[in-house]
Amino acid sequence: MKTKYILNFNPEASNLPITHNLIAEYGLLVNILRAEIDEVGGKMLIEVSGDEASTKNGVEYLEKIGVGVRPFKEGVRRNDETCTHCGACVSICPTDALSIDPETRKVKFDEDKCVACGVCIDACPPRAMEILI
Amino acid sequence: MTKPRKAHGEKNRQAKTYDHIRKKASDGDAVVMTAMEFKRFVESEGVGKAAEEVDIVTTGTFGAMCSSGAYFNLGHSDPPMKIQRAWMDGIPAYSGLAAVDLYLGATELDESNNMLHGGAHVIEDLVNGKAVRLKATGYGTDCYPLKEIDTYVSLKTMNQAVMMNIRNAYQNYAAAANSSTKTLYTYMGKLLPELGNATYSNAGEISPLLNDPYYRTIGIGSRVFLGGGEGFVVWEGTQFNPGVARTPKGVPKRPAATVSVIGDLNGMTAEFVKGLTFTRYGTSLGVGIGVPIPILDEEMASFCAVTDDKIFTAIFDYSHQKRSRPILAEVSYADLSSGKVDIKGKEVPTSPLSSISKAREITEILKKRILDGSFELTEPVQRLPLDRSLRTLEVRGEKEAMK
Ligand code: SF4
Ligand code: SF4
Repeated sequence: MKTKYILNFNPEASNLPITHNLIAEYGLLVNILRAEIDEVGGKMLIEVSGDEASTKNGVEYLEKIGVGVRPFKEGVRRNDETCTHCGACVSICPTDALSIDPETRKVKFDEDKCVACGVCIDACPPRAMEILI
Repeated sequence: MTKPRKAHGEKNRQAKTYDHIRKKASDGDAVVMTAMEFKRFVESEGVGKAAEEVDIVTTGTFGAMCSSGAYFNLGHSDPPMKIQRAWMDGIPAYSGLAAVDLYLGATELDESNNMLHGGAHVIEDLVNGKAVRLKATGYGTDCYPLKEIDTYVSLKTMNQAVMMNIRNAYQNYAAAANSSTKTLYTYMGKLLPELGNATYSNAGEISPLLNDPYYRTIGIGSRVFLGGGEGFVVWEGTQFNPGVARTPKGVPKRPAATVSVIGDLNGMTAEFVKGLTFTRYGTSLGVGIGVPIPILDEEMASFCAVTDDKIFTAIFDYSHQKRSRPILAEVSYADLSSGKVDIKGKEVPTSPLSSISKAREITEILKKRILDGSFELTEPVQRLPLDRSLRTLEVRGEKEAMK
């Protein structure tokens, strides 16, 4: 099972080896997709792989140490009405979440691959991509 | 610099005429194919058969076209006013014309240079049926006493609202990449450092002027699909430059011809008229253009048979802030549309900035309109020139400028 979470933490929590503990103590695979950390705390987008029970335990651990945990459903949205399928975004997306269908030449957006890096937002001429986090 | 003209269009004596094709179309007997369908047909049946059997090929393009805009006649206020300065939804419109005539350019921005909303977006709003706030000032004359107005206008309130684009539908275009160490924000989109990506901006094999390389059928007076409605080619487009290097089949290898087009904003749709923002560059208008090409003879059939692997352009290094930028690679549109190109041994992902899917949609719509009789093919009243070359802007003295 793979789940994405947004973590919000204060300066104390940012000094703890959070990801190490999730891996070592709860047997979870943790992939950090995006992180913004400074002296007043930070935000992290992580993808956690593991069974349901371990994932639940891992989340409880994070909450116990004071980390805000929010399941991440939709970080970036495309307004399909606005998209012209120009393709300006496809060569700058670092994860191939945006790609051109070779048959129809339409641009596909695969939300599962998107890491909400935001690179495509200001590269989209009709401003069809919107970041929600 | 330019090729001799007479070789083109003189070869095939049993050529079809415009009248013949138009008659077939109005009788519902014309064979109309989209550019994609036609290329497949030629591949399997050959150029000779295609020339005999096919009457019209529809071509299309949808992309950012900065030299676009619209003019308006607002109607007269009471008391009347000679407008000296005007703003449409905050965007300055040019009013150095008669009292209530305005021209709004696609790239015009407000005084704060807000690039998310420029002239292009106002034009899109009007096409969408929205009302736009008009503010205007004048100095007042005996015949035009009013000095200020603040009101709303829409396509329903104005006498004329006409798209008038002085350069559209480029016949081929340069591609762009960036060898520097920082991201560049250009009219060719976001260019990632160290050749992180490459962008190109042409519909390639289905683009109008690439299917009529010597402008035998696209000329002044050609009726075209414009922004979802209809328009006409009125002149050569600005920066018209037919004398560039060409392939043996005559396809220009660099930006060459352009057209100037006109059409009523009424009847256009926001699907094919889109306000665009190129971050840190400015605004532009996404315009859809479709042109029917009559297959008059075998030469036209062979022109329209061109495919992406036979159309070439160069990738220029936009990190050089010079008029002439160094070339990084020569590539075909087949290379570019594969999603990756090779630049100096590096595999670089590509982005088309021109929407191929919308361009194809335009070729389909145009085909349908011709078949149902709602769009009529026209013969140009005058051919586009072949003897233009590009001049440059230099800092020069008065006498020098007259030489
Ligand atoms: S936010 Fe980043 S990962 Fe997601 S689609 Fe845009 S460029 Fe790709
Ligand atoms: S850049 Fe924007 S409009 Fe163009 S394909 Fe991507 S999402 Fe669609």
